[in-house]
Amino acid sequence: MAGASMKDIKLRIRSVESTMQITKAMQLVASSKLRGARMRMEASRPYMKVARRAVWDIALHNTGAQSDYVIPREIKHRCYIVIAGDRGLAGSYNANILKRIEWDMKDAQCCFIPIGKKAKEYYTRHQLDMVVDIEKVEGLTFDTCKEIAVHVMKGYDEGRYDEIVLAYTSFVSVLTQKTKLKPLLPLDTRDAPKEEQTNRVMLCEPGADALLKGFLPQYLAGLIYSAACDAFASEQAARRVAMDSATKNAGEMIEDLSLRYNRARQSSITQEITEIVAGAEH
Amino acid sequence: MAVIHLTIVTPENKYFEEDAQKVIVRTTGGDVCILPNHIDYAAAIGDGEARITTASGEVKKARAQGGILHVANNDVQVIANYFEWKE
Repeated sequence: MAGASMKDIKLRIRSVESTMQITKAMQLVASSKLRGARMRMEASRPYMKVARRAVWDIALHNTGAQSDYVIPREIKHRCYIVIAGDRGLAGSYNANILKRIEWDMKDAQCCFIPIGKKAKEYYTRHQLDMVVDIEKVEGLTFDTCKEIAVHVMKGYDEGRYDEIVLAYTSFVSVLTQKTKLKPLLPLDTRDAPKEEQTNRVMLCEPGADALLKGFLPQYLAGLIYSAACDAFASEQAARRVAMDSATKNAGEMIEDLSLRYNRARQSSITQEITEIVAGAEH
Repeated sequence: MAVIHLTIVTPENKYFEEDAQKVIVRTTGGDVCILPNHIDYAAAIGDGEARITTASGEVKKARAQGGILHVANNDVQVIANYFEWKE
């Protein structure tokens, strides 16, 4: 009996070992991808800061009349651009962002633009309204972002969407990532500095409205692009942490199993000796 | 000497953040030259050569395409879709 259980334990150890090898490899891949993703993320941040100020400046300095893109509408149709992961095994990374949107939806009619395979799968499974979908977050180009931006802006102009929200996971540190819902249209000017709203003279060529209309798709594309960089870094960080703890757990399991294996081995030896001694005494 | 603070960014990268004497950018309405103490200004960038005279007087050439040129409080921002220095 001891022999059979020894064999079982040995098999368990072997299977845990191979799992550990996989989780360890995934952790290494995630950390090397994270390095690249963080660099891309850092590189895209200055654009966001600078472009946001310029857009506020133009939108809020609009000679008297406010731009269409600043005035909030009554929300009947909302469009979510959802950036989730391409793959699973990243802890609660994918679940967090998808749950956050579910809570936010309320009773407005919503449609979705999923970016990333996991988001697409989720909305296909729940049979929710998908407008366009992008399969991959990794290596998402600015041009693809621009297609999305042009599409949502057209929808906004035609009144098909009343609000466009970008949902992604923001990278804070390797250990913390935060889900974020960022309103794209109407333009979010809540954070705009107060002094911007005074009537400073600003020259716009061609007119402020035309300028804004021309620049907005690019600006939105920039926002989507930088959010995707942020989300991809978060995904890798989440995966790294998840795989790190999986590797640790596997190590603990192996230790535990080895102990049990040694005990079983010892007890079988003891039993054999007892049997031999008992046989010799007779 | 008066200088302007110039920032050049694209969605993918930051190319320049220093003081400069003069910036010339091709907008949709033609070449525009920004000198220190320019009024607040915004224009759409077309596609063409950009020339930057740095604080030390060196002239740098580049190609800028798409995006926006924004001037506020002597802060000049070239927010381009595409930007590349010429050798």
